[in-house]
Amino acid sequence: MGRMKPTLPQFRGRLHDPRTAVAIGRWLGSAVVICFLTGLISHVLQHPPSWMTGLLPVRPVWGYRFTQGLHVASGLAAIVLVMAKLWTVYPRLFAWPPFRSLPHLVERLSVALLVAATVFQLFTGLINILQWYPWPFSFTQTHYAVAWIVAGSLLLHLAVKAPLIRENWRKRKADVDAADRRALLAGVGAAVGAVTLTTVGQSLSALRGFDLLAPRNPDVATQGMPINRTAAAAQVTYASSDGWALEVAGPRPYRITLAELEALPQRRVRLPIACVEGWSADAWWSGVPIRDLLARAGAPPGTAVRVESLEVWGYYRVMEMPAQYADDPSTLLALRLNDEVLSLDHGYPARIIAPNRPGVLQTKWVSRVEAL
Amino acid sequence: MRTLRVSLGAAGIALIGTGLFFLLPLPGLLGVVFWFAGAIALHDALIGPLVLLVGLLVARLPDRAVVRGALITMGGLVLITIPALLRPGPSPNPTVLVQDYGRNLLICLAAVAVVAVVLVLLRRRR
Repeated sequence: MGRMKPTLPQFRGRLHDPRTAVAIGRWLGSAVVICFLTGLISHVLQHPPSWMTGLLPVRPVWGYRFTQGLHVASGLAAIVLVMAKLWTVYPRLFAWPPFRSLPHLVERLSVALLVAATVFQLFTGLINILQWYPWPFSFTQTHYAVAWIVAGSLLLHLAVKAPLIRENWRKRKADVDAADRRALLAGVGAAVGAVTLTTVGQSLSALRGFDLLAPRNPDVATQGMPINRTAAAAQVTYASSDGWALEVAGPRPYRITLAELEALPQRRVRLPIACVEGWSADAWWSGVPIRDLLARAGAPPGTAVRVESLEVWGYYRVMEMPAQYADDPSTLLALRLNDEVLSLDHGYPARIIAPNRPGVLQTKWVSRVEAL
Repeated sequence: MRTLRVSLGAAGIALIGTGLFFLLPLPGLLGVVFWFAGAIALHDALIGPLVLLVGLLVARLPDRAVVRGALITMGGLVLITIPALLRPGPSPNPTVLVQDYGRNLLICLAAVAVVAVVLVLLRRRR
């Protein structure tokens, strides 16, 4: 075997060691777990299993904003951390022979899966927040499926490496590289800090001024609010709402024009739009509470609703809202944003705004509200 | 310990199975496989060697710890900005990619360099 060994690179750097790998691995593991859980929260809010619909929380109003800001922030931090982790273990790529036994082969394959899935997940996620889709697969479905593979291969990796990890936590034997390792970890920490500081302002308004590199800056917006899906993308124009009247279906169905809606008692609430892509912003919304519209149709409190949009096509053209959101007095059919009539991109003539819900479910260009 | 390892491993395999169950029926699966392989290839054949090469170059520098920390920070900032710089054409959505990313990246890199120089000077005075 020895004679067949190809010329492989030699690594003399001493920080390519288990202790460094464990130290960075702890941070990376934490970031991946936060990313997975916050992603799961978003998935459940967007596609709740039927037994969960009644349990989705309406408060805090900033819940989705917080979890999804954290999702993207932890994902961006993980990009730095995964690079540092891969640097540490890179020499092991050239282990020779490639595998010593069947368990060793399985271990290496599981590491390959972990690395491929994690790098894939983080970088396609990064590209997705720019609304850029240079691939032939559905991003959301693939991102969801691969998230489970990342989480699973991480657990498998921890199981395989458990003795090594434990050894590094237990024994504090003399460490000649302690100072060098601390400096390296400080550098990685600084990189995570810099990446977070220059991007997290897209959701954390207190750090808006440092938002230099994020795809969104909520200060650059129309009517004080960024847009996820434009009217052009949804093929909606002002002509779409010529002669518009909202249709409300229920025990006593009715149609109501924009002028009539404006004549009803209005409510003004401060609620955020928060997107799974990590940006969010607060705004003032005015309009008619959904529960008032439902009461006029003879629907009792505790009624869930289905909302339809004027848009010709879209994954979220029809949206269902569980009863606890429809009942909430701050859930509006909004006509105004920051005291201006909604622009077409923001959903003219009327849109939904509800607390603690994903942005894609804040349906724009509403045409019909149906009591379920 | 053994029970913990076995159950952790079993849970891991179950989650991977869940992911494959969701992934395999999706259209465009070949594209996913291609991007998986591309992710590994891009790192192992390009980013990895490049980083190691830079590491080799700064290994003998005085104040290596600070230089290395600054380079890692700059690398992280470049990495998360590259897609914004590479995305072709203007975005159809006027509220996405609203910043001048080339200019802002240079500002950030310059700020990191300034902090690094200050740190080196402080360390030398001590």
